[in-house]
Amino acid sequence: MAEKMDVQQGTLALMILRTLQVLGPLHGYGIARRIEETSKNRLSLNYGTLYPALLKLEQEGCITAEWRPSENNRRAKYYALTVVGRKQLARETREWQRTADLIAAFLAPRGEAP
Amino acid sequence: MRRIRSVLARIAGVFAGRSAEDDLRDELQSHLDLETAENIRRGMPPEEARRQALLASGGLTQAAEAVRDQRGLPSLESMVADIRYALRALRHSPGFTAVVVTTLALGIGANTAIFSVVRGVLLKPLPHRDGDRLVYLRHSREGPGGANVTFSVPEVRDLRTGVPSLSGIAQYSSWSVIHQSKEGAERFRVGLVTGNYFEVMGLSTVVGRPTGQGDDGPGASPVAVLTHEFWLKRFGGDPAIVGKQLTLDRRPVTVIGVLQPAPFFPEQVDALLNMVNSNHHLGASMVEERTHRMTEVVARLAPGRTLEQARSQISEIYARMHGDYPEAYDAGSRYHVAVTPFKDVLGERARLTLWLLMGAAAFVLIISAANVANLTLMRGVRREHELVVRAALGAGAGRLRRLLLAENLALTILGATLGMAIAVAGIGPLTSLAERYSPRASEIRLDVVVLAFALTLSVLLASLLAFVAWLPKEGGLAVAISPGARRASGGLRKQRLQRALVVVQVAVSVVLLAGAGLLTRTLIRLAEVDTGLTTEEVLTMQVPLLTDADRSIPAAKAAAEDRYERMRSEIAALPGVVEVGVGSPPLRLSEVVWEVKAEGKVAAAGVTPPRAEVRTANPEFFRAAGIPLLQGRPFASTDGPVSAGVVIINQMLATQLFAGEDLVGRRIAWTGDIVRLYPPSAGWRTIVGVAGNIRDGELDVEPGPAVYVPLSQLGELGGSLAIRADSNIAGLAAAAKRIVRRIAPTAPIENVMTVAQYKDRTFSPRRLNAVLVSSFGILAVIIASVGIAGVLGFSVSARRNEIGIRMSLGAGPGRVERMILWEGGVLLAGGFVLGIAGAFFAVRVMQGLLFGVAPHDPSTFIGVAVMMAAIGVVACWIPALRAARIDPAIAMRAE
Repeated sequence: MAEKMDVQQGTLALMILRTLQVLGPLHGYGIARRIEETSKNRLSLNYGTLYPALLKLEQEGCITAEWRPSENNRRAKYYALTVVGRKQLARETREWQRTADLIAAFLAPRGEAP
Repeated sequence: MRRIRSVLARIAGVFAGRSAEDDLRDELQSHLDLETAENIRRGMPPEEARRQALLASGGLTQAAEAVRDQRGLPSLESMVADIRYALRALRHSPGFTAVVVTTLALGIGANTAIFSVVRGVLLKPLPHRDGDRLVYLRHSREGPGGANVTFSVPEVRDLRTGVPSLSGIAQYSSWSVIHQSKEGAERFRVGLVTGNYFEVMGLSTVVGRPTGQGDDGPGASPVAVLTHEFWLKRFGGDPAIVGKQLTLDRRPVTVIGVLQPAPFFPEQVDALLNMVNSNHHLGASMVEERTHRMTEVVARLAPGRTLEQARSQISEIYARMHGDYPEAYDAGSRYHVAVTPFKDVLGERARLTLWLLMGAAAFVLIISAANVANLTLMRGVRREHELVVRAALGAGAGRLRRLLLAENLALTILGATLGMAIAVAGIGPLTSLAERYSPRASEIRLDVVVLAFALTLSVLLASLLAFVAWLPKEGGLAVAISPGARRASGGLRKQRLQRALVVVQVAVSVVLLAGAGLLTRTLIRLAEVDTGLTTEEVLTMQVPLLTDADRSIPAAKAAAEDRYERMRSEIAALPGVVEVGVGSPPLRLSEVVWEVKAEGKVAAAGVTPPRAEVRTANPEFFRAAGIPLLQGRPFASTDGPVSAGVVIINQMLATQLFAGEDLVGRRIAWTGDIVRLYPPSAGWRTIVGVAGNIRDGELDVEPGPAVYVPLSQLGELGGSLAIRADSNIAGLAAAAKRIVRRIAPTAPIENVMTVAQYKDRTFSPRRLNAVLVSSFGILAVIIASVGIAGVLGFSVSARRNEIGIRMSLGAGPGRVERMILWEGGVLLAGGFVLGIAGAFFAVRVMQGLLFGVAPHDPSTFIGVAVMMAAIGVVACWIPALRAARIDPAIAMRAE
């Protein structure tokens, strides 16, 4: 089994936003499952990490929350992306991409400075 | 934008109540349910499915806590919980809490009370409109009675025209009048003022009107403005008094208003009257004579002008006066004028005493804060384990610091609350102390500002203590949490801080003790002062029989003399009375001071003739008052008004005038302006006796020259009864007053006091001073001893193991005892050296409060040293003995 990793600071918000963009409104459990699956179970999210992050995004206005019945008729709190959240996601994706490219260039096998 | 929204949401989150908590619980529960259901779907048995879901959650409580932290503002929300926790923790260590709270309460209480007094008396803005623009002009010359000679009307006139930097000059002249009413006679102390007085002073009336320009001049009708205090006391605050007429010195005077509450200046008076109330003040002498000085001057700076400008203009015009009228300012006396802000003049006498007390109280607070810091440090070390466990369980350094801050806040706020109670109790006695020094004592109160002062103090203290208290370093957790941790506690750095605090405590105690010692020695010296009187079993009472107008009527004077004689003989017949005399009351400075010259002596040019108190006496007075006659005879009934003038002079004057020559048949006379201003004072008078020097006025002032004249020859100066009895003089007062009342039903009876009570006037404010500073000193020493004993005791328990090893290796109990004593002795000595050095500087500012003892009085310092050393050694001995009794076997097993 792959080595488990803690979620890196600052990346969790991006993952949550992206998950909501792809799957639409979703409850906390669904978000956690999706992130764990996407990471091929290399990431594990406990409640103490997930829910403060959700609350923080809600406080920032990136997502909204609403109680409604879940697929198997339980009540669950569903989170949905807002306009602010969409913009935030776009911005962070761009920045993350740039950072990733930069790091990739640095760590390229040849290692020559351009 | 996002951030602002987030902060707003979090602020709102602070107030999120139940619903948010329910919501959170439901959400976490639904997550758990969903996961359990999913696990079951994957084929797990229900029990196992739920267990796995719980495992994955990472702990519901922790999660809820993390969400709560994110929801509100952490510091605000957890603070309440922290304080609640702190109070619970403090309840578990009542001894520590009691010591800390009491120490702080005493420190904060003393500071709050004394700061209230300082604020009321020295700092608060004056109630006068633009009070900081008021200045007081003081006219002085060198020599006895020259500290404040006041101004004459012509001098004020010159100032009015010559100083553009002053927008107004008000005149005030002390006076007293007799009020006649149906209930009898009483003396009103009044100020005679110019019409512009209220305008210049910036004071208004609460009822009626103040005086104005129209109340000046001989044509105005006599009016009075009552002072607020007197209005309340004498007329019960009845506003209907305005418009009514009072009979003052047999003249109808209309009350036109009641002054707003204001500090009395320059003395406490009952009413302010316009000048027309006194014939004297309208007389040519008062108005025209440059040396007829009896006017106080308060002035207001003109808009835009500074004190400096006023000072230079005044000194310029004053120099011109000296040039124009050299005879009015003899060069030997060095006449000069000082211009002082009015507020400073009001605080003048109180300033030194109050700042001394404030300093002493601040020192006590420093010591108690140091003690609290020390106790907290020690407690911190004992709680090291608890804090480490908390840190290990995930409390961050910030969170722990908050916890300590909460505890200290709880402690200091408890201390401050108790301190406020102490302050409330102490403010009464302090106000009565301040009344002796300041006209503003009525403005003293514990108000919001003072309360804020106390609270700020305690919050500052709390933060400071939280800062010095121990916190586990993040890296050192594993070491600290290990079973041997107690051995590592009380590290060198921490001990150094504790020791420094103890040294400071000892040093500050030494300074306070030195101050207390000097003030106490001052008291002892004062008690030893010889007043010059042969007895203190004397009761005096003033019975003024002559009004201002009567003084120039010979028949009135004769009638008064006759009545004094009747009182004298009737009181002398009372049982227990030894002698009754009439004359100027002993130990009370005469207000009349005239220049004297001796017959046949030519004063050297430029040397001012001596000024001597003029006192009256009848033939029995010297024996009755206990004034010793060193040479010659007392006055006799044959020394009547028609016979040649006679005097008795005191030894001081005899030495000044005749320097040991034979006095028989020598004559003296008054000289200078008084002879012109007051013709009856002219002429040579034969010396018939020499009296001993008496400390009239304050006990700490050397007696000055004095001339006694027979009451029959200068009766207008008046006198008081001096009643000497062999026992129970105070008990005689009632009977004596009944006799006086019968013989002079319309005369006021004033200052019914024994000689001992006169002495006590000098004594009591100083006694209160000494008592306060001494109690601060003793308090400081007690707190410091607790500090020393505490730190050493802590050191002993921290070194238990080490001491056990030493003892098992052969160190005897004596050696261990010496080791701990030495440890304490070093601290004591360090603090002592620092304290003596500090005291040398500190006592210098006290010089004005001392009498008969030098600020660096060696015996006081030695006394302080012995006392501090004795108490300090006892404080060291207790932990040292405990160390010596350690059983090495037990000590080493304890770890």
